[in-house]
Amino acid sequence: MQLQVDRGAGQISMSGEFTFTDHGPFKQMVAELFATTGRSVILDLSKLDFIDSAGLGMLLLARDEAKKNDRELILRRPSGQVKRMFGVTKFSTLFTIED
Amino acid sequence: MFKWRHHSAAAPKLAESEAPPLAPVAPAEPARHDELMRRWISFAAMQQRVIRTLVSEIQQASAVVETEADNLSGRFRRLAICAEQQTARVDDLSKLAIGIEVDGEVVPIDRIAGLLEETLSDVVEKILLLSKDAMQMVYALSELNSNVDKVDSCMEELSKINRTTNMLALNARIEAERAGRAGAAFRVVAGEVRELSGATARLSTDMETELKAVTDGIANGHETLKRVATIDMSQNLLAKDRLEVLMSALIRRSASLASVVGDAMKEAEVISADVSAMVTGIQFQDRTRQRLEHVVDTLHVVDEALDELKETTMESLPPAAEGQELDTEWVKKLLDRFTLGDLRARFVAQILDGEQPAEAMPADGESANSGTVELF
Repeated sequence: MQLQVDRGAGQISMSGEFTFTDHGPFKQMVAELFATTGRSVILDLSKLDFIDSAGLGMLLLARDEAKKNDRELILRRPSGQVKRMFGVTKFSTLFTIED
Repeated sequence: MFKWRHHSAAAPKLAESEAPPLAPVAPAEPARHDELMRRWISFAAMQQRVIRTLVSEIQQASAVVETEADNLSGRFRRLAICAEQQTARVDDLSKLAIGIEVDGEVVPIDRIAGLLEETLSDVVEKILLLSKDAMQMVYALSELNSNVDKVDSCMEELSKINRTTNMLALNARIEAERAGRAGAAFRVVAGEVRELSGATARLSTDMETELKAVTDGIANGHETLKRVATIDMSQNLLAKDRLEVLMSALIRRSASLASVVGDAMKEAEVISADVSAMVTGIQFQDRTRQRLEHVVDTLHVVDEALDELKETTMESLPPAAEGQELDTEWVKKLLDRFTLGDLRARFVAQILDGEQPAEAMPADGESANSGTVELF
């Protein structure tokens, strides 16, 4: 997976496949964004092709972290398999998902 | 029955005693009168043949109709039983279409779909929880590993300090030796410091050993967690999606089947009702038979009356010189109107040729199916 961070906009753009092996960089990037000011942290998933159950677990941990910091985690423009996974797991009841 | 003979027997008596004298008749009149009476007798005889033939035809037709009606009634009764069984089967089918029987209870398909959806949602929720917990453990172990690295650095620092301390103790001991007796106390202190340094070095070695065990444990735990966390459950999660699609299709099919079976049920009920009505309708054939019996009975009475009247009339006539010929012209005209060949043949044989009508009823099994139907 590739990550691009826009600290000013409070946004991480993810592309490729989000799996267990990405836990280190992802955790670090999220921690960096939560250290910035602003209400929302946005994960742009428009170029993310695949997510596994570990990836879903990391998103849930990021959500917990956002709550601790009184921030909102927004998942933006999921598509394909990622969107289907969000549908099956009813992520829309846990996250703000923007199309 | 109608006592024609009695009345006609009384007539001569009246002529002899009380009856007024008859008007004078021309000599030709009695002969003409007798001729007319003989023609009437001839006509009456033909009428009787026609009546007997008609009676025979009615009885035979009635017998045929009764046999056919019995056959039809039997077939319709069998049809009614089949229709009822068919209705029952369709009813069973409608229950099957609605749901699946489990422990004697019919569970609707949509309820099954609901149960499956609940179960799968629960499984999905647990998979998510496991994934989250596993990743939390991974994060925690990573933190722990980082802390161990820091402790390792501290241990390195401690070793450096210990080496320096040991060097200082050694130097102090050398200086104490140089000082001679004046350095005796200093020598004791240097020895103690060296002992302390040695103890610290041993402790440091023990700690390094323990720390390595902790590091190895963390590494093993991390590997184990990695194996757990890298099991991709995404296909299992998407199985819920596929099963939901399948269940939706099953529900739609069940609804379609229920609709079709419902229509079949209504039609089966209509068929049952129609067949029952037909059975009832055929049973009214008894009433038709009774009506025909009355007709036949009436014709018998007319026949008997004609017999009596004929005999009475013949008694009042002088014997004919030669046999009276039958009046067949009108009968022939009548027979020309017949379009059924076998019927006409029977009428010719019985009325014109004077054969006796067949008394025998049609044998069982002889029906319209076994004969031929003459078409117009």
